[in-house]
Formats: sequence, C-alpha cells, structure tokens
Amino acid sequence: MFGLYESAFGALTWGNIVMLLIGGFLMYLGIARKMEPLLLVPIGFGVLLINLPLGGLMEVGADGEPIGLLAWVFRGGITTELIPAFIFLGLGAMTDFGPLIANPKTLILGAGAQFGVFFALIIALLVGRAFPDFLDIGIKQAAAIGIIGGADGPTAIFTATELAPKLVGVIAVSAYTYMALVPIILPPVIRLLTTKEERAIYMKPQLRKVSKREKLLFPIVGAAVIILLVPRSAPLIGMFMFGNLLAVSGVTERLADTAANAFMNILTILLGLSIGAFMSAESFLQGESLVILGLGIIAFATSAAAGILLAKLMNLFLKEKINPMIGAAGLSAVPMASRVVQVMGLKANRRNYLLMHAMGPNIAGVIGTATVAGVFLGILG
Amino acid sequence: MIDWGLVAKVAGAGFGVTMLVLTLLSVIVWLVGLVTRESESQGEEKK
Repeated sequence: MFGLYESAFGALTWGNIVMLLIGGFLMYLGIARKMEPLLLVPIGFGVLLINLPLGGLMEVGADGEPIGLLAWVFRGGITTELIPAFIFLGLGAMTDFGPLIANPKTLILGAGAQFGVFFALIIALLVGRAFPDFLDIGIKQAAAIGIIGGADGPTAIFTATELAPKLVGVIAVSAYTYMALVPIILPPVIRLLTTKEERAIYMKPQLRKVSKREKLLFPIVGAAVIILLVPRSAPLIGMFMFGNLLAVSGVTERLADTAANAFMNILTILLGLSIGAFMSAESFLQGESLVILGLGIIAFATSAAAGILLAKLMNLFLKEKINPMIGAAGLSAVPMASRVVQVMGLKANRRNYLLMHAMGPNIAGVIGTATVAGVFLGILG
Repeated sequence: MIDWGLVAKVAGAGFGVTMLVLTLLSVIVWLVGLVTRESESQGEEKK
C-alpha cells in the first residue's frame, strides 16, 4: 500500500471470494433468517476474517506453535476439546430433565434416533470406497461424519477433533446448518413415515410432577451409569450432568447462572469464531466438503426416521399409545425439534400439546449422541 | 479396502451399546422415581 506494505487485494484468490460469499450467507441465515444466530453469526464472521488474506489470524509457526490470534483460540479451545466439553456444562445448567424423568421410556427413543449416525457412517465409507482418488474417508472420518446425524454441534466437534481433525470445520458447519434447518428437514420425514391418524394420537398434556429429589439424583446417577459403561463419554456426559447438578441443587445458583449465561456466551463466541476461522478456502473448498454436507443431511433424516419408527414399534407394546412424531425429536437439536413436533401435533389434532412429551426424547438425544461419541472414541480414538 | 469386521464392531456394537446404556438408564430412572415417590408418600403419611 503506497509502497509501504503489501495490501491484501493481490493475494485474494477465487477460493477466498467463494468463501467470503459462504461466510456472508451464513451471517445472512443467522441475522436475517434468525437460524441459529448465536453460532452462525460468529462462524460466518470467522469465515470472513480468515479469507481476507494476510491477516495471519490462523498463522502457525514452523514449529507448529500458534502465532495468530484465532490459531491460539483454536489450539487452546478446540484441539484440546475444552470448548465443546465446557459448552456441555452450560447446556446441562440450561436443561430441565423433568420431562425425561417423568417419562423415562423416552430415553429409548433418544437412543433409537442415533441409528442415523451409524447408517451415515456406513454410507460415508461406501462413498469413500466408490471414489478413492477423490475422497479420503476411512473409518475414523466416517464416524466423525456420521455423528452429524446426532444433531449436536459440540459433540460433532468433540468427536471430529479427535477422529478427523482436518474435517472439523466442515463437520461443525454441516451440523449447525442442519440444526438450523430442522424445521425444514423434519416435517417431510415425519409425513412420509406417519399416517394422519398416527400424527393425531392424543397424549395428555400434563406429565407427572417430578420431585426435587428425583431431579437431584438424575445427574449423579446418570453420570455414574453412563461413564461406567462408556468411559470415553466422560468429558461430555460429566460436564452435562455437573452443569445440571449446579442448576438443580438449589445451593449453587451463582455457579449455575454463570455456566448457563456468561460462561456459555464466552464459549459460544470463541467456538463460532474459531470454527469459522478453520474454514479457509484451501481447507474447505474440497470435494470432501460437498460430500460431507450431503452425508450430513442423510444422517439427519435417517436419525429422525429411526426415532419415528422406534416410537411406532413401541406402540405395539404400550397400553397408552405415544404419538410417533415425538420419536423424531430424538435428534438432539434442542428445543427446535420439539417445537416442530408441537406445531405438527397441533395441526393434526387441535387438542394435542406435544411439546413437553417431545422434550423427553429431545434431551435423551443429547445424552445418546454424547454416548455414541464415547463409544466411537473408545473403539477408534 | 474397508475392514468390514471393524465396521460391524463400530456400527453394530456401537448402536447396540448405545441402546443398552440408555435403556438401562431409563429403567434406573424409573426405579429411582418409584422409590423416591414411595418414600415421599410415606413421609407425608407420617406427618
């Protein structure tokens, strides 16, 4: 610039321009369409920052040590898996396990909805096998791609960081974008797999009252049982249950408030920016990215479908039938999936208020996806 | 070359373990609820 230093214009590539458009689109979705704005806005801005050349935000030294601002955040928060795990602390503090405790069989629906993760894993492997020169998808990458079907951003990042670090950016964007698109993805899957009569199945709006003692015991017992059976789920499940204990104990309000608000907000900013900053043109504009985005939607749809089919299966044995739509909420996208079920339930039957019924499998989906992540890391990590 | 044995282990056993863990947890939650409600109702009767 004026012979004093190099401006960034000369270094701008077509790849950067495409990525700037993608970053702009993500910010548009967040700001104008209000789709997952807390994440898509920071991710979109991170994409913008990293694709304006010569800024050096993700610069790494010859010895692999971070130099750039966001490289430090990425190393400290994502590579170490600190941010996804601590986000689970905040999520736990924000979660009410009441609907799940009142109706524990919804945990099974949350588990069934993880089928899509495993289905997408197999499809990813087959696609990788079909195009070996074009794609580098082994079992670890396939597992990291499959977990997108859990519809849980922090878990997807947590798993991808360990199993497929090069794919973290595209997997995170895929997970969060599809989470934002749940109101568009779920209804056709539900309509395809249920009849009008099934969608109209009435469920009493009131769940049984859950005592404080039950709410207090759940995070303690839940953490112990899951971590004993799937030890590698400890960072996610441990933080999730601890956050919830802070909220329900009644004696740590300040900690619960910090975990659910200030701490969560800080982590969200750091997570969004560093994920966006990982999406440089060189790393994102690969054939793999498009394939992963495609596989992500397969994983999502299959997970929702598995939840619905499992609910229909359970209805064969239950005296009091459940509305199979609540199975689709086994996706972790809380509370978006539950809201979709509520809206569709009301459309099918004006007396039906399914929101709290759907929250059970919805929260179970979070636990289920974290458990699957633990299983993957236990076998492949 | 895909190692289908490993795939079966990861996908098949993985899904099985997930189902098992959450089903077990649902039974435990149900039992805890049962015991808690029972003890709470007994406590109220004593009062």
